[in-house]
Amino acid sequence: VSAAGAATGPMPGFLRGRAWLPWAGAVLGVVALCLAPTFLLLDAEQRTLGSVFMFVVLAQGWNLIGGFAGYPSFGNVVFFGLGGYTTAVLMAKSGADFWVTVPAAAAVGLAFAVLMGIPILRLRGHYFAIATLGVAEGIREVVINIPGLTGGNAGITIPAVGEKATASYPGNTGFYFYFLVLAVISMLVVWGVAHSRFGYALRAISQDEDAAAAAGINTTRAKVAAFAISGMLTSLAGAIYAFQQVSIYPERLFSVDITVLMVVMAVIGGAGTVAGPMIGAVGLQYLSEWLRDHLTDYHTFVFGGLIVVAVLVLPMGAVNFARDAWKRRRLALFDSVRAYRL
Amino acid sequence: MTQFLQATVYGLLEGGLLALVAIGFSLVWGVMNIVNLAHGAFVLVGAYIAWKLNTAMGLDPYLGALVAAVGLFVAGYVVQRLLINQVVNAPIWMTLLLTFGLNLLIVNGLILIFSADFRVIHTGWSSDGFSIGGVRVPYGRLTGFAMAVAVTVSLVLFMARTKTGLAIRATGMDRSAARLMGMNVRHVYALTFGLSAGMAGMAGAVIGSINTFSPAAAGGFTLQSFVIAVLGGLGNMWGALAGGVLLGLVQAWGGQYLAGTLVNAIAFGVLVLVLIVRPTGLIGRPFYEARAEA
Repeated sequence: VSAAGAATGPMPGFLRGRAWLPWAGAVLGVVALCLAPTFLLLDAEQRTLGSVFMFVVLAQGWNLIGGFAGYPSFGNVVFFGLGGYTTAVLMAKSGADFWVTVPAAAAVGLAFAVLMGIPILRLRGHYFAIATLGVAEGIREVVINIPGLTGGNAGITIPAVGEKATASYPGNTGFYFYFLVLAVISMLVVWGVAHSRFGYALRAISQDEDAAAAAGINTTRAKVAAFAISGMLTSLAGAIYAFQQVSIYPERLFSVDITVLMVVMAVIGGAGTVAGPMIGAVGLQYLSEWLRDHLTDYHTFVFGGLIVVAVLVLPMGAVNFARDAWKRRRLALFDSVRAYRL
Repeated sequence: MTQFLQATVYGLLEGGLLALVAIGFSLVWGVMNIVNLAHGAFVLVGAYIAWKLNTAMGLDPYLGALVAAVGLFVAGYVVQRLLINQVVNAPIWMTLLLTFGLNLLIVNGLILIFSADFRVIHTGWSSDGFSIGGVRVPYGRLTGFAMAVAVTVSLVLFMARTKTGLAIRATGMDRSAARLMGMNVRHVYALTFGLSAGMAGMAGAVIGSINTFSPAAAGGFTLQSFVIAVLGGLGNMWGALAGGVLLGLVQAWGGQYLAGTLVNAIAFGVLVLVLIVRPTGLIGRPFYEARAEA
């Protein structure tokens, strides 16, 4: 490394050695994705890819609180639902423009994460997981039971086309770009967190919270901040999703399945890493679409089986698995089982 | 007043059934620190076993409950031994994911085999009943409640008086120490999980003879088990019974006096509040206060 560094002379640190390779790859990838809808993709493919990007955002949102801070939220879908309903209610009831509702949704997600996080982040392990699950289920029931505002079980419809439309409906290509931009933002946010003091504080909390507190980290503030960023990203994804769907229902927007997908994607990819949740989201969402097309009746059944197998074979995530395999030059398929079994 | 008494009786009896569902869930959580998201699916497997035995052979669902209990005990033992034991030491979201995957497998397997239609097990007698002062008590629900109490009592006795029960308690308190004392922890864990699944299956058979059921109900049973286990304190069997009765009463009264499904919102609100204020449960102390994490 020193020879290469000396040879290239006065370069910024991150360009030395081979460290620029992933960066160049990421920039090229984003450029390719920006050009793709114009040249390559069919309408339906843009829609699929949009949903892939949405899950990148959701998985990264969970990654901040679950992966970095080690607090396994099982109710992150509550932010998705609140973001979606903020947008839908504002557009349908007060005729607001979509772009006005986006910051409103972000603010609602952030504020709710802080309010809920302060009492609940005192709980650890399963207690935290169950409490977040309880909040998500409870908020869904509240949304169902105030039909005057939210339409209740019958759902709410955004006036997207025709006379009453408050914003022009952007179509599949438009939503492709909305989700792409949000996915890139969430990747940058997680990268920034991973390389900051804040990120190290979160990792310390995940390793040993008491030791982290003893080392001078304000654990409450760090945890609440991580939860707030997570909630904000997730509610933004919910806002775009609501506009895309036009009609939204509490059963779908607060579905436990969405939380579980976030967790599965982040964990299978590699919780607490920057690239892992993205890889998990892309891989699993494509796999899920493929199963739906090819095994119509069995796809959820097969998906459940795949989760079981993946948990047994890849408990530390694909990214860490690949890194270990690369370092040791061998594929250790069942090493993790040996590490975690009783 | 009669209406209130009727709601109270129904809530009490329904609470017994809820407790029967939740006792096993609470036991597994308390002893092994595993939250079993497939618990509701086990309940439904029990219901379908009893339904199949009833439609094919005309077997009474309360006898079918025993078959379901034995079948699910074996299935639960195998699942724990082969699958869950492999990730017991991993971060907790791994066991959550694993059991969620199992839940998807079982629920969708049931849909593939039995379709997503609603079923009910017909018996000649379970919807009959007697009345006291205008309050109706159906035999089916009464039997279900009696079974819940009987199972709780026998489980408490089993845990307190038998060597196996002692082994389960000891493993729950300190796994390493139990191992050093020569206990086969893998076997004890599998046994505990089997017990839990067996009780879930028994509850499912009884529930199937009282209400309609379909594979989609699995998630609801799991969530109710959460609420009850937390209310009663983890691994605390009397607590589970009390928590179940409490939840049943709240739901019955709420159904009388509140609009829509607002009562569910209240149940989850109470759950979160209890977790924040008194995570050891409302009733007494948790069964395994002295847990040493291995």
